[in-house]
Amino acid sequence: MVAMNPPTDQETRGRNDIRGLAEPDAEAPKVARVEGGTATFDAADLSPRLVNLELRRLIYAEGIREVRIENPGAKHSIAVGLLARCRITINGSLGYFGATLGDGPEIHITGRVGWSVAENMMSGVVVIDKNAGSLTGAAMRGGDLVVRGHVGARTGIDQKGGTIVVGGNAGSMTGFMMQRGRQIICGDVGPGMGDSMYDGEIYVGGTVAALGVDCIEAEMTPEDEELLDRKLGIYRIDRPDTFRKFVCGKQLYNYDNLEPSERKLVL
Amino acid sequence: MSDGTAGSAAQHDPQKQFDLSQRRLTTRQGIDTEELTGRTFPYQFDPGLVEDIDLLAATPGDDLNWLEDIHLMEEDGIPAVFDRYTNAFLKIHFDIPSGREDEFARKVLIKHLQEGNSYGIWLKHQHAKFPQPELGPWLEGSATVGENWTPPTVERWDKTFTF
Repeated sequence: MVAMNPPTDQETRGRNDIRGLAEPDAEAPKVARVEGGTATFDAADLSPRLVNLELRRLIYAEGIREVRIENPGAKHSIAVGLLARCRITINGSLGYFGATLGDGPEIHITGRVGWSVAENMMSGVVVIDKNAGSLTGAAMRGGDLVVRGHVGARTGIDQKGGTIVVGGNAGSMTGFMMQRGRQIICGDVGPGMGDSMYDGEIYVGGTVAALGVDCIEAEMTPEDEELLDRKLGIYRIDRPDTFRKFVCGKQLYNYDNLEPSERKLVL
Repeated sequence: MSDGTAGSAAQHDPQKQFDLSQRRLTTRQGIDTEELTGRTFPYQFDPGLVEDIDLLAATPGDDLNWLEDIHLMEEDGIPAVFDRYTNAFLKIHFDIPSGREDEFARKVLIKHLQEGNSYGIWLKHQHAKFPQPELGPWLEGSATVGENWTPPTVERWDKTFTF
């Protein structure tokens, strides 16, 4: 048996600190220009870490409630983990995991986004003017996620609350393992829609290529119509003439039979 | 959305904003708010304390946003609202007017969050790893927590190891 020196902190952590934080010594660049209560900064030469540090400085420390980011350059993980009421405009496109883990912010992205936009959002509003990639709104818990264009596969996978609105078409396995919440798809939806969903509602204005396991069509109610009118009205999306509603057939799962602690996991 | 006053966030001392001595962290594994916090709260008993809460003002966007998923439920046969930040039910002991069940459930929950009484949020003082507003989107200018996080240590844990 050979005794080894324990690794140094630097060897253990590499580029990250013990919290898993990249660039742990980075500081907010303080490059924003504030005029009339709105802060604007250019993200072209900033790493994602620096962009997020600048956002937190403005929103948490300076109390700014309107921020505009120019030249986001499709960077990943921008505007994540913001826990305050504020409005952020991102003038361009984002890469993956944009606007995730938010609780309160209202974020407008004028371009496109990659995978998993608004993943795990607790509350707030995220609006994307163009298309979104796969896993849009994954594990979302609350708030509104609006994509005016098309979305990829597995939209709202593991969704536990909130409303996802898509102005165009959605890919395969939309609503896969959805547990609560609502999806409003104005266009067509690919195969496997609602596969293994536990609960929630998926409204479709176009055609559905094929339903997934245990997903069934249900009757529209006046409450459903009110929801559709309200959400599409708020976000100024043209409403298709008719919608069909799809829910869980509940042949595979029944929450009433679960232990109380398991039941709470999906509330 | 409320218009925040510049510089208001992160300026408050959590010890002054709320009486932290009134908070005791449980060592049990209970799942109800009253068991976790060791107390009840006045707004669980008096509808007059929540009647004036403006739900639209308390939520982002142009409608109820995340509160759309909050409904009056039941725990131990008593009306209750689920607090997702604690993963526990908060019981409501007053008579709720018919037809306003969800409204009162939402108002009680928002009051609970705005007054800093959600047990899961109390844990931020001990476990938040990054600086953040304690009461996030519910209370303008709430205290900053997570500025002085240190890794937890396990008693008698020795980092030295051998192959």
